[in-house]
Amino acid sequence: MVQYVLRRVLIAVPMLLGAMSIVFFAMRVLPGNPCLAMMGDQATTEALADCTKNLGLSRPLAVQYADYIWRSVRFDFGNSFRQGYPVSEYIARMFPHTLVLVGASAIVAALIGIPIGIVSALKRRNPLIDYPLRIFALLGLSMPVFWFGILLLIVFSLRLDLFPLIGGGDLDGVLAMIRSGEAFTQPADFLAAVGDVLHHLALPALALGFTLAATVSRLSRSAMLEVISQDYIRTARAKGQGERAVVYKHALRNMMVPLLTIIGIFVAIALTGTVLTETVFTRPGLGKMLVDAIGARDYPLAQGAITVFTMIIIVVNLVVDMLYAVVDPRVTYR
Amino acid sequence: MAIVRGADPADLTVRESRDLARSARGRYLRRWLPIGIGLLMAAAMVVMAAAAPLIAPLSPSAQFSDAVLKGPGVVERHLLGTDEFGRDILSRVIWGARVSLQIGLVSVLWSFVFGVPLGILAGVRGGTIETLIMRGADMLMAFPTLLLALIIVTALGGSLVNEVLAIGVALTPNFVRLARSLALTIREQDYILAARALGSGQLRVMARHVFPNALYALVVVGTLYIATAIRTEASLSFLGLGIPPPTPSWGNILSEGRQYIKCCPWITTFSGLAIMLAVLAFNLVGDALRDLLDPRLRGE
Repeated sequence: MVQYVLRRVLIAVPMLLGAMSIVFFAMRVLPGNPCLAMMGDQATTEALADCTKNLGLSRPLAVQYADYIWRSVRFDFGNSFRQGYPVSEYIARMFPHTLVLVGASAIVAALIGIPIGIVSALKRRNPLIDYPLRIFALLGLSMPVFWFGILLLIVFSLRLDLFPLIGGGDLDGVLAMIRSGEAFTQPADFLAAVGDVLHHLALPALALGFTLAATVSRLSRSAMLEVISQDYIRTARAKGQGERAVVYKHALRNMMVPLLTIIGIFVAIALTGTVLTETVFTRPGLGKMLVDAIGARDYPLAQGAITVFTMIIIVVNLVVDMLYAVVDPRVTYR
Repeated sequence: MAIVRGADPADLTVRESRDLARSARGRYLRRWLPIGIGLLMAAAMVVMAAAAPLIAPLSPSAQFSDAVLKGPGVVERHLLGTDEFGRDILSRVIWGARVSLQIGLVSVLWSFVFGVPLGILAGVRGGTIETLIMRGADMLMAFPTLLLALIIVTALGGSLVNEVLAIGVALTPNFVRLARSLALTIREQDYILAARALGSGQLRVMARHVFPNALYALVVVGTLYIATAIRTEASLSFLGLGIPPPTPSWGNILSEGRQYIKCCPWITTFSGLAIMLAVLAFNLVGDALRDLLDPRLRGE
């Protein structure tokens, strides 16, 4: 087991390095000087020289690269051009917002997607049930999350005025109250703050969750189909167990194993989704931060955000690989 | 392998031939209807894009100062309304199909042309070459498609060619992986052994035997990636990283219309609908073709 974990970690390290190198070199092939791009044509020669020196762009590329890798490992991404303060601080502030959005939409996606996938697999011979479900999955898969988000905004925020149009609520305040213990001394204030955050979260989570539900329902459909054709299901039926027991006791549990492996894919899709979702709902978060940084040509911030995104995806995949081995005893720890 | 539960032999004998014919027709319909609808929709999109100058009622860049932000049908010549410059939404959506479909089709072609030979090479040759190619693909796969395309477009700047390049590169590792896994199975077949015995060289085996046998599966998956490419292009344009205005693309029409959702939701609604229908068309075709390819997942 220890050997297996070590092996997986050793595979993940060069992947992470490679991905970070891609980010680094992509940011360096930029046509022209990044300082010029940021400051515009009006910049004076002195200002440009100053900026180039500050960014360390005059150093040899190899030195810059080594410096970037070494700093990234310590989560030091330099200072934001626009705001001035450290990128890592910025990321740490935005991270909870994105985490909450991914978590909430994962719940929405699981609640809608898994039951639909299972029913659609079990009732695949009944076109009256299978067809609407498959059409739903196709629609969800084809509906761009930013468009669905705008439709939700038009209907629920603008027409019905039920939800806020922009923002993410005072999540920082909620976290501060938890840290300071105020959450327990003043529960009424705390609950009000949490309620406000949830109020802001509802539409974005629904938008992202719905588009993710399509993916989840397809994956759970094929996971269920995979399981239902196994010999032990036939055995269970042969010994006379009812359909309900077969599905709940035998199929469902075994279905969770292949479903677990898709969490990695899921996180990747969800993170990409946050970039679009946060932009549509003007919510603070890593995704919106990345888009804003690119728009403002704030390279350290953009580079930091992309590096963090990549790290999360690779680490999640690593963890899932290990969980897979823990959950399914048939996976050998090679 | 179907397990008939509670089957009574009597059921089978009572079944009339008329029922059998009907169920056969139902099965036939169920298999071909989605492909038909998808193909029809996809063909309609392609025709719309190709014939945009002929179909579009007005010029996509003509500004009508007497009809700024007018709703669908309010001014008779603007069937789907106008935007903040008084440009005709219907004409812009029709012209926008050009950008979306060009990028969708060309970028998938690009990743096919680069990815498939690499994947087949990796699968057939094995060894160091395989390790090198696959590690490279894994590294690119660490990025979600949109994120990788976003990085490349940020570096190169938004234009038709750069978007094709960005989405093409982002999709390439998928084709490398698929082509390799197909090649791994195909190279063990007897006909490959026969071809080798007849003196075919490595290159000939790959080009004349492995590639044609992998082609069908690759095309099926390619169709699904056209949908992904169209959606990615729309997302990039929506984020302001696609084709710069005033060239209309579905993503940038939608993005520009975002400021006006309060008064004029038709701008975002129709451009988004176009994106969804295009993605849906290619998903339908790809999906149905994949079901045909993999009978295990067929819902019958």
